[in-house]
Amino acid sequence: MRGNLVVGGTLVGLVVVTALVSFVWTPLDPQAVDASVRLLGPTSDHLLGTDKFGRDVFSQLMVGAQTTLYVGIVAVGLAAAVGVPLGVLAAMGPRWLGELVMRTSDLVLAFPALLLAIMLAAVYGASTLTAMIAIGVATVPAFARVARAGTMQVLSREYTLAARAGGRSRWWIAWRHVLPNISGMVVVQSSVSFAMAVLAEAALSFLGFGTAPPTPSWGRMLQESQELLAVDVRLALVPGLAIAAVVLGFNLLGDGLRDRFDPRLEARR
Amino acid sequence: MSTRRSALSALVSAAVLAAPLALAGCTAGSTAMVAGGPSTLAVGFTAEPQNFDFTTTDGAAIPQALLYNVYETLVKIDSDGEITEGLAESWDVSDDRTVYDFHLRDNATFSNGEPFTASDVKFSIEQVKQDWTISLKSGMDVVDRVEVVGEHHARVVLSRPSNSWLRSMTTRIGAMFTPDGVADLANDPVGTGPYDVESRRRGDSVVLTRNPEYSRPDDPRPEPDYGTVVLKYYADATALNNALLSGGIDVISGVTAPDSVPQFEADNRFRVLQGTTNGEVVLAYNNRRAPLDDVRVRKALTYAIDRKALLQAAWGGRGKLIGSMVPPTDPWFEDLSREYPYDPERARSLLREAGHESLRLNLRIANLPYAVSSAQVIASHLKKVGVTVDIEPLDFPAVWLQQVFTDGDYDMSIVQHVEPQDITTFGDPEFYWGYDSPRVQRLLSEADTAPPREYISDMREVARTLSDDAAANWLFLFPNIVVAKNEVRGLQANQVSESFDLTGLRRQGSS
Repeated sequence: MRGNLVVGGTLVGLVVVTALVSFVWTPLDPQAVDASVRLLGPTSDHLLGTDKFGRDVFSQLMVGAQTTLYVGIVAVGLAAAVGVPLGVLAAMGPRWLGELVMRTSDLVLAFPALLLAIMLAAVYGASTLTAMIAIGVATVPAFARVARAGTMQVLSREYTLAARAGGRSRWWIAWRHVLPNISGMVVVQSSVSFAMAVLAEAALSFLGFGTAPPTPSWGRMLQESQELLAVDVRLALVPGLAIAAVVLGFNLLGDGLRDRFDPRLEARR
Repeated sequence: MSTRRSALSALVSAAVLAAPLALAGCTAGSTAMVAGGPSTLAVGFTAEPQNFDFTTTDGAAIPQALLYNVYETLVKIDSDGEITEGLAESWDVSDDRTVYDFHLRDNATFSNGEPFTASDVKFSIEQVKQDWTISLKSGMDVVDRVEVVGEHHARVVLSRPSNSWLRSMTTRIGAMFTPDGVADLANDPVGTGPYDVESRRRGDSVVLTRNPEYSRPDDPRPEPDYGTVVLKYYADATALNNALLSGGIDVISGVTAPDSVPQFEADNRFRVLQGTTNGEVVLAYNNRRAPLDDVRVRKALTYAIDRKALLQAAWGGRGKLIGSMVPPTDPWFEDLSREYPYDPERARSLLREAGHESLRLNLRIANLPYAVSSAQVIASHLKKVGVTVDIEPLDFPAVWLQQVFTDGDYDMSIVQHVEPQDITTFGDPEFYWGYDSPRVQRLLSEADTAPPREYISDMREVARTLSDDAAANWLFLFPNIVVAKNEVRGLQANQVSESFDLTGLRRQGSS
């Protein structure tokens, strides 16, 4: 299934490049309001036209890619940094600790990420930061579960048993055998979680609880297009397609990586 | 297997995000079908009343549905802001302007069959003073006592002359109740108006039917054309628009998605009425806090924002530029919108003079469409004069009320002030404007007791002083945009009263 990897990688790469380019160059200032050019269709000056504020949609789309990746990286990074050690601990530590970690993560899983984010936004104000934290916290259990399952698998392998018989400490085993062997699964999980984080950020911004204006965000572009659906559907299509492409990209990438790394699939081959 | 599932879930999740857009019109809000023939009218709203008791529950939704339609007042306010007769056919004011004699209609009847008399006036006004809990009840503080002179003659004695009292009698606090009809105000309102509440479906609709006691043969007031009016409540502006387009309702009470109006204007099935409201969209400056306590900074910011362009970009050019806290339907209105023409050069030099070459300010706004839109334009304009704006949308009403309104913790804020004559809030130094001007306070307190002519000139002076001090930046007056099917006539373009007045509605084609 190399196709997944290639298509996913291409889509993701495209977004990453767009975001990087937007740091140094956009066709126009994405935040510059100009009432005289509002709601224009695509022209040579405005490749994707302008929104109701007269801002350049293409420039917004480019800078929006930054927001999307930024939220994804921080949220997934946070989730992995907390979730993986917890999962390893749950598998290697005393039984009661494992139970505690897993039941707590069941509890967090049962709590919708969007609700958590809306609560955080209500208390601390809507911002990219609260969105990232909420999405990150809600994604921790996914990583904890993957890490725990992977660790259990590694612990049953001969080389681990040998290390244990050789009198190596638990921490040494965790560091030398467990982490390297589950890293592939963690990468796969990261890619899939990234797609969910992108979607969650878009949904939050759509609801007005995510990235604060005027920083461009695909979710808010969608929201601002809502009342204009009957006037100009382009404004909804552009960010909508961008979100769909990124989510698809990361999911395909995750699948492709899974085919490469997942030890369970390897055994079946 | 897992591969296919994830790829599918990617597509599904992308579709889920797009779904609210496409389906908003079908899923959100009202689902009730409108039964009945041409004598039924369905009007769409976005804010639903929590209950029917506006004596203890704040908010605009209850009087919007009930005032003038179910409950009547002694005097009404018309769409030009003039006070006209209501349940009182006429009234006299004593020379010292403290005694009001109301001559009541002798044929008005409550929906429970009780006749309307002067003792109901006494009862209703005393109820406001004793039992009401909403803050607006303070409008009745000036009343000293009410006397029942005759069956249809009530006398209200004020403790001092007041220019605002009669006007406040056109609002919800002037609603007339009967002692037998106040047992269950939250669910069963009893009034003298042409309509009576028949049923209510929470989260969906309120059905009003013709009050059989209204307008008996000797009453000159005409019967309403519509025997049944269904007030339907929708989650958002888009759902409301779609409901009219799909025939679910006949009238949109107020369009809050201005860029969607052209589609109705282009469609000859509909008529669009655009007028004014009492809603000033205000960019509040925190007058209490540096650097905005410096009038030069406030003036600079006011010069730096191109309000005409803002109205165009943020609200589709619909609305009116005002320049002070006065809607055009107030008697002391004066067009001050040209006092601060867009002049970034002047703004920059004022800022330099005040010692702020560059400035960073927070803009804590209500998380509502008009505020979020306006804020982005403001941030873009102020950036050009070296002012960096951090926009922070706060959940409205709860968080905004606490942080900005109560705690006064903000540099700038945007919210729409809808109360009639809310210019008086600038006389309260504790109000979140933080505006403490002894001159304005003196003028306001003198104005209310002054003879009518001085009243107008005093209020004009207040409005002008506020503009001179750049006490706030009045971005624009919120437009009232009503869209209706062609055959519905008698709708008011201006929203001046607290009521969505159904009493004048006519069906074209019927006599």
